[in-house]
Amino acid sequence: MNTSLLAGAVLNGMVTGMLYALMGVGLSLILGLLNIPNFAHGVLYALGAYVMISGAKAFGFLGGLLTAIVAVAMLGAAIDYFGVRRLYRVHPDYILLLSFGLSLILTESIILVWGPVGITFQPPALLTGAIDLGVTAYPKYRLVVMVVTTVLVLGCYLFVTRTRYGAIIRAGIEDKEMAAALGINIRRVFTLTFAAGTGLAGLGGALMSPVRGLLPTMGIDILPFAFVVVVLGGLGSLPGAILAGLLVGVVQSLMTAIWAPGADASVFALMTLGIIARPQGLLGQR
Amino acid sequence: MTRGALLRFGLLLAAIVALPLAVRPVVASEIWIFAIAGMALNLIFGYTGMLSFGQATFFGLAAYTAGLMMIHWHAPLLVVLAAGTVVGALAAAAIGYVCIQRVGTYFIMLTFGFNQMFFFIAYKWTAVTGGDDGLPGIPRPPLALGPLAIRLDSSLRYYVFVAAVFLLAFYAMKRIVDSPLGVIFQSIRENPGRAAAVGYDVKRYKWIAFTIAGGFTGFAGVLYSMMFGIVPLESISWIISGDIVFMVLIGGIGNLYGPLLGAAAFKWLSEAISVVWERWPLILGVALVLVVLFLRGGLVEAFRRLRDALGPRARPEPGAKLPVGIAAETEAGS
Repeated sequence: MNTSLLAGAVLNGMVTGMLYALMGVGLSLILGLLNIPNFAHGVLYALGAYVMISGAKAFGFLGGLLTAIVAVAMLGAAIDYFGVRRLYRVHPDYILLLSFGLSLILTESIILVWGPVGITFQPPALLTGAIDLGVTAYPKYRLVVMVVTTVLVLGCYLFVTRTRYGAIIRAGIEDKEMAAALGINIRRVFTLTFAAGTGLAGLGGALMSPVRGLLPTMGIDILPFAFVVVVLGGLGSLPGAILAGLLVGVVQSLMTAIWAPGADASVFALMTLGIIARPQGLLGQR
Repeated sequence: MTRGALLRFGLLLAAIVALPLAVRPVVASEIWIFAIAGMALNLIFGYTGMLSFGQATFFGLAAYTAGLMMIHWHAPLLVVLAAGTVVGALAAAAIGYVCIQRVGTYFIMLTFGFNQMFFFIAYKWTAVTGGDDGLPGIPRPPLALGPLAIRLDSSLRYYVFVAAVFLLAFYAMKRIVDSPLGVIFQSIRENPGRAAAVGYDVKRYKWIAFTIAGGFTGFAGVLYSMMFGIVPLESISWIISGDIVFMVLIGGIGNLYGPLLGAAAFKWLSEAISVVWERWPLILGVALVLVVLFLRGGLVEAFRRLRDALGPRARPEPGAKLPVGIAAETEAGS
């Protein structure tokens, strides 16, 4: 394999990796607060992409992005408010099953509204074409996606670690009852975190739609990788999610270049090794 | 056996006889096959408190193993059934060993992750598995009992065979659940911390439960591979894993008959609705959401509520459990 191909594969891996990190950060926050892996996270990513193409038709590319994030975040808030909230007192497994049911409903709804066939979507004219990076030529739009997702992920990290509201979220993850006892409206924190986490997934789908195209199953396809990122990175650890996201993305991309049939399986092999070596995740505390 | 238990068993036998009259024999066979897989999940979810979202791993691995053995070696029926069961149990022992290191959410995600790993291997390794097209051309060997060879070529004959082995599996599962081992499993579900405190090696028993369930699921997978003469890629995908969870949940967890009811309701409904509307998983999703929000005990709970509403004389049986909830599995547990 020559350097140009290798560089291309690594860059592709970083683009997917940052997307995984974006999904992983949202999942991780929801997981930390609610103790559930949100099975609907994947389909909300898909929904973001579909809302994006419809929104872009009406309001242009940036308008489409905005529509996607707002629509998906509002749906996320509704899921928490009308569904998850009713299940706080029962075992978290039921919340998982609720999210699984929602995932089925939303996937089928996407097929009903937008059809079962794959759709391609073009990035804005300004961002088409490639840039010569010296080692390899790389599509402009993918570089922009990489930069945007990186900024978003770092923004989330800074928000959670450096702001007052971030401290409240961390307090909620650490000890819900104590946080509530100190006068924090923990249910509102839950709803807002759920909305933010799912909104990020929707935005991720919207951003990736010109890169990967759209398929009704795209959400289900990406979900296991987002899970791997969370497990590998460590529960509730945002730097862990970022590191694991990049690791998974680059390994998957390199394996695709080396031996494509093993690419996806290698990611899960990586997770298995990670769990055996560090059960708490790469940067997890517990 | 109490009168209630006898009555339930009688109803089960009646259902086995009546089912092929109500639905096509193929659907009837599918119901008992998935009932076996559902019983297996019920053992680890309903009785031991671990929700596995990756049961298709064992189902699919056994189905592929059986299919390959029958295609390439013309292996006899009972050998294939045994082999599939062993493959399911061994895979569950290996995967379970890693998964039970973690509890709760992590456990679920790990089982799901492993399922995806095997799915992608089956999907990409087309030379062996046929990939997306599935593994076709699986014969259905006769049941050889000594000199006697019973042909199973018609779907009704196959149904009789499936129903018979289902009863064997049901009996085996009942024995396991009622045994001291089954009681230990339930103690782990109720309170893993306390089970450990009284001296049980919680991880070891979880591992045993997971392995047994893998064997049962593999057994079901073999029966499935022979039914249509093809192993579809779907049989190792998360869709089947989800379906199994779904059936157990609809039926009612922690009750021996729950998964049976769930499998029957699920397969019958999906057969009926899929003829009418292609988008039937939508209805499935709605049903799941409604069950989770309003009827967490499943169909068993619905029957109980109905009975309580209809009969004022209804009183709890001796030893009856409280309406089933999932045990609180906490991080402190292991």
